[in-house]
Amino acid sequence: MTNVTLPPLAEGIDKANISYWHHSVGDAVSEGENLVELVTDKATFNMPAPASGVLRQILAAEGDEIKVGQVIARIE
Amino acid sequence: MDLQSAKAPAWLKKRLSLNRNIYEVKRILSEYSVKTVCESGLCPNITECFSKRSVTFLIMGDACTRSCGFCSVNNAAPDAIDPDEAPKVLEAVKRLESKYVIITSVTRDDLADGGADQFAEVVRTLKNFSQKLIVEVLVPDFKGEKSAVKTVIDAGADIFAHNIETVRRLYPLARPGAGYERSLDVLRCAKCLSAKVVMKSGMMVGLGETEDEIIDAMRDLRSAGCEALTIGQYLSPGKDNLPVQRFAGLEEFARYEKIGGEIGFRHVASGPFVRSSYFAEEGYRKIKERCDDECYTAAVS
Repeated sequence: MTNVTLPPLAEGIDKANISYWHHSVGDAVSEGENLVELVTDKATFNMPAPASGVLRQILAAEGDEIKVGQVIARIE
Repeated sequence: MDLQSAKAPAWLKKRLSLNRNIYEVKRILSEYSVKTVCESGLCPNITECFSKRSVTFLIMGDACTRSCGFCSVNNAAPDAIDPDEAPKVLEAVKRLESKYVIITSVTRDDLADGGADQFAEVVRTLKNFSQKLIVEVLVPDFKGEKSAVKTVIDAGADIFAHNIETVRRLYPLARPGAGYERSLDVLRCAKCLSAKVVMKSGMMVGLGETEDEIIDAMRDLRSAGCEALTIGQYLSPGKDNLPVQRFAGLEEFARYEKIGGEIGFRHVASGPFVRSSYFAEEGYRKIKERCDDECYTAAVS
């Protein structure tokens, strides 16, 4: 099981909002493909899947605020 | 709703990198208490650059004596100059295994030399460690003091960069305390002092300028001796900063690259996420290759 966590973006940016999940629970995902779109005060980011596998859990919904280091999904 | 809070256009989405290097780079920076403009400037490219162990050091503290409307760095009482800063930067450079080092700073109008001596000290320390290290400095305007520019040039940096940031008309709005002509003078002065240093500048699109104004600024920079130029999309760091007036499209950025080549720049990096130091090493190597080619062509013809 691989945890999907928000990497450190910059000093002072310790949170982001989830704007869009490119995949749903149960989808097969490949390492490196866009998994989730995030928005900070400064920019919009696409976060790649850290591993290949099946997206087992999504732990933060679209619109949720998440913190750096927080687990937002699990891939198995 | 302001433009930036609205949905970003498709080309203005930055891909995050998840490489383990990011964590190691952050650890090294904190171990030596050195700062980077990547972090202080809230740069959207940070995970991409840190994953390649590429950083831009911010010396002389992260409190600035000016308050430019586009910048997230704090306007506050400046820090005391750290006499051990140069060796700390060198240690971090060794740990990062950098071959190309970029040094920038806040503006230090409180110091008689604007911080030129500290720049020079850091450059000399890096060059004394290894002449093979390529060192780029990105300096403030030193209030236009030529002696400060000379101090930095004499220290032996390979690339001398000073950002014009925006077009002439927007200076009172975006860069109060600075001057368009003064910044051009800094570049002219540096070019006069050293024929071999590579001259570089950078600017932002999206503060309210027109395309023609950008092109005028490009011509002014070229006339001032600039050989390399970066152009990127302005993104507002926060609600207290200037709002984004427009998002330039990819075609517009491509036009700047083409025009830049036509008016004689050796290298123009132009794109939404281009920043002054973004892929600076690659840009420098392209310039060097072109210089070598031209020298070779001149020698054989």
